[in-house]
Amino acid sequence: MICPVCETPVMAGFTYCEACGHALGSPACAWCGAPAVDQDGYCERCGLRQPTGRDHAELELDGGAAAVTDRGLRRARNEDAMALLAAGDAVVTVVCDGVGSSPRADEASAVAVETASAALARGLPQEEAFGLAARAVAKLATSVNDAPACTYVAAVVRPGRISLAWAGDTRAYWLPGGVLLTEDDAVETGEITAWLGADAVDVTLHVRAFAPREPGLLLVCSDGLWRYLDGYAFPRAGTPIEMSREMLRHALESGGHDNVTIALIPLTP
Amino acid sequence: MADQPAFTLTIDQNKYLPVDGREVHAILTVGSTGGITVQAGPAEAAEVIIVDTSGSMSGGKIREARQAATTAVQTLRDGVNFAVVAGTQKAKVVYPGGDGLIKASPATRAEAARAISGLSARGGTAIGEWLKMAGHLLSAHPSAIRHALLMTDGQNNERPDVFASVLAAWSGKFVCDSLGVGDDWVPAELRKVAEAMLGTFDFVRNQGDLSEFFRRLTQASMSKTVADVSLRVWVPQAATLKFVKQVSPTLLDLTGKRTDVNPLTGDYPTGSWGTEEREYHICVEVPPGQVGHEIRAGWVKLVRPDTQEVLATGNVLAQWTEDLAQSTRINNKVAHYTGQAELHELIQDGLSARAMGDVDTATARLAKARQLAAASGREDTARLLEKVVEIDPATGTARLRRNVDKADEIELDTGSVRTSRLRKEGS
Repeated sequence: MICPVCETPVMAGFTYCEACGHALGSPACAWCGAPAVDQDGYCERCGLRQPTGRDHAELELDGGAAAVTDRGLRRARNEDAMALLAAGDAVVTVVCDGVGSSPRADEASAVAVETASAALARGLPQEEAFGLAARAVAKLATSVNDAPACTYVAAVVRPGRISLAWAGDTRAYWLPGGVLLTEDDAVETGEITAWLGADAVDVTLHVRAFAPREPGLLLVCSDGLWRYLDGYAFPRAGTPIEMSREMLRHALESGGHDNVTIALIPLTP
Repeated sequence: MADQPAFTLTIDQNKYLPVDGREVHAILTVGSTGGITVQAGPAEAAEVIIVDTSGSMSGGKIREARQAATTAVQTLRDGVNFAVVAGTQKAKVVYPGGDGLIKASPATRAEAARAISGLSARGGTAIGEWLKMAGHLLSAHPSAIRHALLMTDGQNNERPDVFASVLAAWSGKFVCDSLGVGDDWVPAELRKVAEAMLGTFDFVRNQGDLSEFFRRLTQASMSKTVADVSLRVWVPQAATLKFVKQVSPTLLDLTGKRTDVNPLTGDYPTGSWGTEEREYHICVEVPPGQVGHEIRAGWVKLVRPDTQEVLATGNVLAQWTEDLAQSTRINNKVAHYTGQAELHELIQDGLSARAMGDVDTATARLAKARQLAAASGREDTARLLEKVVEIDPATGTARLRRNVDKADEIELDTGSVRTSRLRKEGS
């Protein structure tokens, strides 16, 4: 074993490197992997300031359902937002992707996720939860020219059945096969035709119920992941959080051009 | 014992790099303030005063030198350990004699003045020998603020490699400020002393001012309260620390003075400190980064090497962005000191080209230096350059002047390491 900072051999079980004083057993760096992140949040080996807050977040529920969100490599901030919570025998997840061309898109996705997930956890139907979220996002606008906006997908997963609702191009898949469960509101060139926001017109929420016959996982994700899914072999082993991280790594290694959000909820029929 | 002053470290930079950006520049401003309590005594100090007594000093010069050395001795406060050395081709301790220092008191100061009054000018010049003697005398006081004050009027007669090896051996062991008198000394030699010994060097144009220079330098040395402070700089594993330079009040390249602490960290000595402010320019070459990533490109600590105590810390950052408005923004301080370093190089290159008879290079460098000096608030330097190079205001054509006063040339050469401070916005 060597000190990750000064590379002096260190004894297992030591708290500090005797040569340079580095605290051994520090958190691992998100970039170079060295266990060298200091209290200020910088890696003492490669220098990277560790992602904080919305830059990178992970959630895991008792039943194994998990979600990760990450800024990716090219965007200045993470405008995706996610919620994952247990409500009785149901697991609720909502994922929204801030529309890049709108102002304060990070606020839009955050308020949509918070409003809709709380409504669904209270047992409100999909349409009502969506309506509350849409109004909350619209209220962020000061005019139609200053209208924060985001996409929307919500899932309520109960034993044996899934309720899905979406608007825009945020998606749901059924794993392990990778069957797409949603249908994008988008034209062929990729521009979306439905979103939440004060400038949205004629948005109809898509709602779908799905009852899987085999055990599997519901994947809900933003386009920061699905743009890299062509020909991708989904992970087959590991817990949902481990699989989520592996999919995130795939998105980052493929270029990480957009924010990435992944929610995975295990389900038995 | 004296309380140590409080140190502050502030960092000026533009942390944003373009997508392919690799070079991070920052100016570190280090200040030390107050800290000496009324009850605490002054710091322990050891001082060696070196007077050139070579043959060229005969006449008025040796009289001024005797007066200046006496002034320096009188400026020493009680309790400071000191000696006076006369320098020729050898170094001789003229007071107190033997191989040690003596504590300053009214009695020893008077004895020293008597010994100094007997100095006469005879022999050669061996600056390395003088420094070696000062080093031996001062090394008996390891916990003191160790300082030597050296004056010379002539060229060093030592072989360059001998001189260089003395400087290398004693570098960092004490601080030495030096003074050149008259127009037969070589600025490049005293510049080497200043660089090795982390001191200043200056030109005493009128020998009648020598006493005042001695008094001022001794007083400055007496005001030091910390013997030694290092800049400890960490850079990331795949990065390179390209340079560490003092840029204010004078230019002093510290890059070659690194002592490795570990593979990522090195110490750079800054010498002794009183209440003062200095600025440093560091440049780090970082590995290619990802847009949006922010890294700590340099972690700077101000450290007392004797106790390893950390006095202040700061971060030099780098963040890659696709936003050109951010990455092309120029930090004023970095730009200012980059310009001051360029001015110094132009003057040095120009003067050496001129000495070698390369008129074209000398004209181009010195004319450009003149513009830069005027633009960056260095009026004195611009005035001196004006005496060396003539620029036709109508055509802009530059021409070297004939019959340049040797003293003007020395003053220009000596003064090029001094930098101006960046004027605050709006003043």
